[in-house]
Amino acid sequence: MAGNSSLYLRRRFTNALALTLSTMATVLGLIFLAWILWETLRQGLGALTPKLFTKITAYGEDGGLANAMVGSLIINLIGILIATPIGVMAGAWLAEYANRTRLGESIRFLNDILLSAPSIVLGLFVYTIIVLPTTALTSGNTTFSGLAGGVALALIALPVIVRTTDEMLRLVPSTLREASLSLGIPQWKLTTQILVRSARSGIITGVLLALARISGETAPLLFTAFGNNYMTANPMDKMSSLPQVIYQYANDPGEAMHAIAWAGAFVLTMFVLLLSLASRLVLSRNKVSHD
Amino acid sequence: MAARLTSGGLLLKGASQRRIVNDRLGLHRLAGSHERDRNHMQANVGAVASTMVQEERAHRDARHDRLFSWLLKGCALLVLASLLGAAGATLWGGRHAFATFGWHFLISSAWDPSTDTYGALVPVYGTIATSVIALIIAVPISFGVALYLSEVAPAWLRTPVASAIELLAGIPSIIYGMWGLFIFAPFFADHIKPWLTNYLGDKPDDGKLSWVAAHVPFIGKLFGSDYPFGASVLTAGIVLAVMIIPFISSVMREVFQTVPTRLKESAYALGSSTWEVSWDIVLPYTRSAVIGGIFLGLGRALGETMAVTFVLGNAMQFSASILDPGASIASTIANQFSEAAGLQKSTLMALAFLLFVVTFIVLLIARWMLRQLAHKEGR
Amino acid sequence: MTESAAAGIHPQSAATPAPIAPTKIQVRDLHFYYNGFHALKGISMDIPEKKVTAIIGPSGCGKSTLLRIFNRIYAIYPKLEAKGEIVLDGENILDASYSMNRLRSKVGMVFQKPVPFPMTIFENVAYGIRHHEKLSRADMDIRVEQALRSAALWDEVKDKLKQSALGLSGGQQQRLCIARGIALKPEVLLLDEPTSALDPIATGRIEQLVEELKNEYTIVIVTHNMQQAARCSDLTAFMYLGELIEFDRTEQIFTKPSKKQTEDYITGRFG
Repeated sequence: MAGNSSLYLRRRFTNALALTLSTMATVLGLIFLAWILWETLRQGLGALTPKLFTKITAYGEDGGLANAMVGSLIINLIGILIATPIGVMAGAWLAEYANRTRLGESIRFLNDILLSAPSIVLGLFVYTIIVLPTTALTSGNTTFSGLAGGVALALIALPVIVRTTDEMLRLVPSTLREASLSLGIPQWKLTTQILVRSARSGIITGVLLALARISGETAPLLFTAFGNNYMTANPMDKMSSLPQVIYQYANDPGEAMHAIAWAGAFVLTMFVLLLSLASRLVLSRNKVSHD
Repeated sequence: MAARLTSGGLLLKGASQRRIVNDRLGLHRLAGSHERDRNHMQANVGAVASTMVQEERAHRDARHDRLFSWLLKGCALLVLASLLGAAGATLWGGRHAFATFGWHFLISSAWDPSTDTYGALVPVYGTIATSVIALIIAVPISFGVALYLSEVAPAWLRTPVASAIELLAGIPSIIYGMWGLFIFAPFFADHIKPWLTNYLGDKPDDGKLSWVAAHVPFIGKLFGSDYPFGASVLTAGIVLAVMIIPFISSVMREVFQTVPTRLKESAYALGSSTWEVSWDIVLPYTRSAVIGGIFLGLGRALGETMAVTFVLGNAMQFSASILDPGASIASTIANQFSEAAGLQKSTLMALAFLLFVVTFIVLLIARWMLRQLAHKEGR
Repeated sequence: MTESAAAGIHPQSAATPAPIAPTKIQVRDLHFYYNGFHALKGISMDIPEKKVTAIIGPSGCGKSTLLRIFNRIYAIYPKLEAKGEIVLDGENILDASYSMNRLRSKVGMVFQKPVPFPMTIFENVAYGIRHHEKLSRADMDIRVEQALRSAALWDEVKDKLKQSALGLSGGQQQRLCIARGIALKPEVLLLDEPTSALDPIATGRIEQLVEELKNEYTIVIVTHNMQQAARCSDLTAFMYLGELIEFDRTEQIFTKPSKKQTEDYITGRFG
């Protein structure tokens, strides 16, 4: 009897301890989140000045990040414009044509791997296939370019878009396919005009998530877009981006440079968090609406 | 109902040219009655022409469908091409390094641009050490978070807390790097590192070895350091841990929710506590997927560049201490590639190839493990 | 209809009830397999033109499967195979050379759950037509109106044709799907448990509609609701475990079934 009650007590104690520890783990996670966001906010807001948006990086500590922001925008845009059509089509192929086929399953599997592949290696890949050949063509001047940066980011955005498109299309009930095909509508029309439209909000969510993901990417840009100190919108030119300038300034010994880096980090974080918030809103407001 | 029907016998243009019989006023609506006006007439006017039009359309549709599916398939194959391309490009770029150093490359800790001798040991060790530390920290915390979110937290708190944790995954890695460099590393150097070096390390500030350092093998070496700054293998591991917690915990939480309610309920009915149900029922049931989630986190940690580069210190010499600075493959590439040329560049490419192959294998295992549970679920 | 036919159990087989109209679809020795499972075992039946033929039977008997072969919609899934003949107007539709396009413009289908396309009400009806015919705007307007009128939906939606079809009620959506099907001017209309997701009032309207539509279309309806079969069909087929047990005039099936299994089923002893 006494043995039983001590066993019971021990079990209760273990349970209480485990649950307390799990709560503490969660609190710890939230503390780190709050700490990182708080510092970004505090340091970033403190250094946020109008010249950040009006001046270019050429002036160093008296300058701003205007060219980096424009560069980021252009490189991200190139990345998304390349990745979205390819990703949606690849996702549609997985969901509509190759679902449950061996090749389809393999590509779905490999896409999941590409999703977490080291972005720096993808940067080196693009360096090899775009920067090196163009360098050879232009008699040895290293030709980093915003375009190469955009292609590198497209490789990172691609698996995100493929995956969400695939998943969202597979959520569309098969009765919609049957109803369309029973009207004699061919598969390509069904896919482009009905299924993609049904899964539209989900696909948009995927694109926004991909944009959020690539906006913060630094590593693949180091050897593709490289960086510059002047304002340019020419994608064939070297191009600065926000994360790349933050990286550069944070490694600079000057305090004033750190302040600009923090301000850039703040802008970047806000942009990325707003994007993921927006993607959530799109999804929750407009779920795939068939039962 | 039938009264609203109007225009009878309207002729419409169209491929089939059939007459629309719209007059239904004469209908009987007596259920079960079969005495109906039987119209045996079959409108076959234009049937042949219509068939031809349809055959033509069918051919055109089939052609479009074929082209469309090829286009889509081509796009899907690009996924495959990127993976193969990344592996091929780095292997090709690293061919000089592999040819020059051979297998010795993997075990050499040399890194000297002045004599052009390079070995992979320091960055490979740094990559593995930071990732393993990150896993040691992140796995129990992620399990705690997943447990809290699926079993402990009141229902109203689950969604907001889960979203907050997932927000951690959305923060760009460069921000982790900044925070690590400017905030966490100094904090670590001031508050954590002295305690570790003095109580566990073999190089304490006052020169007196602690009992642990003196008696437990390896511990002294592992924590001994006279490097005064916060950047170290351990710091990088901690920052990486914070980064991968949301990945691992969200996979765990997701798979915990796939455990059939009846299974949990039968355990509860036997008087099991929440912890016992989680440890004895939920965890074994989801084991393969949980391991998959951990490997997924490992894959992320191995390939992470920015967060690590900022807090690792970028020292190209080997040290057994996790409180000393080090280098990882990704940080070495990020730091040196732009200025590198010749054999050094090739070495960095070779390192990238190693990194890619290792992460590929880790992620392969991760996805495969995750799939095991999905198969069990019959999905 | 002759006295003898009305009175009689036809001696030959389940496939040939007393002819009440010319045959539209001839099914001959139809077998169906999925993943090796023998789902339909030698079905033969003659479906008369411009009549309502109901197919009843317990779930899993193959009634929906049979219906889904009539427009070969099953072919969009892998590993399904149909053997035998289904002759529509003298041509075997299971023949590989029979174009899917032609088949589907001749045979329309309405599904269990209403599946409106994510478009406006007008576009839902116009979408299918546009694929088969090039019509002027005015002609298209007329065609859509005709289809909506025939589906007894026009009065309810004529003021909101530009609104999304997803905003309609379940019953309205189902009638929209019927309108979408008949807008292509098919000859055969397949209804796969069209009222199973609807409330009794909406069900009543669909049944009325079936009554009206059979003047123009050959209708095959699969239903799990025996009263529905009794109310709105001319002929009823009873299927069990992939076989056609009995096929006769509806009155006959419900008053004097010739097979014991049929009687058991309609009197509620199983199923």
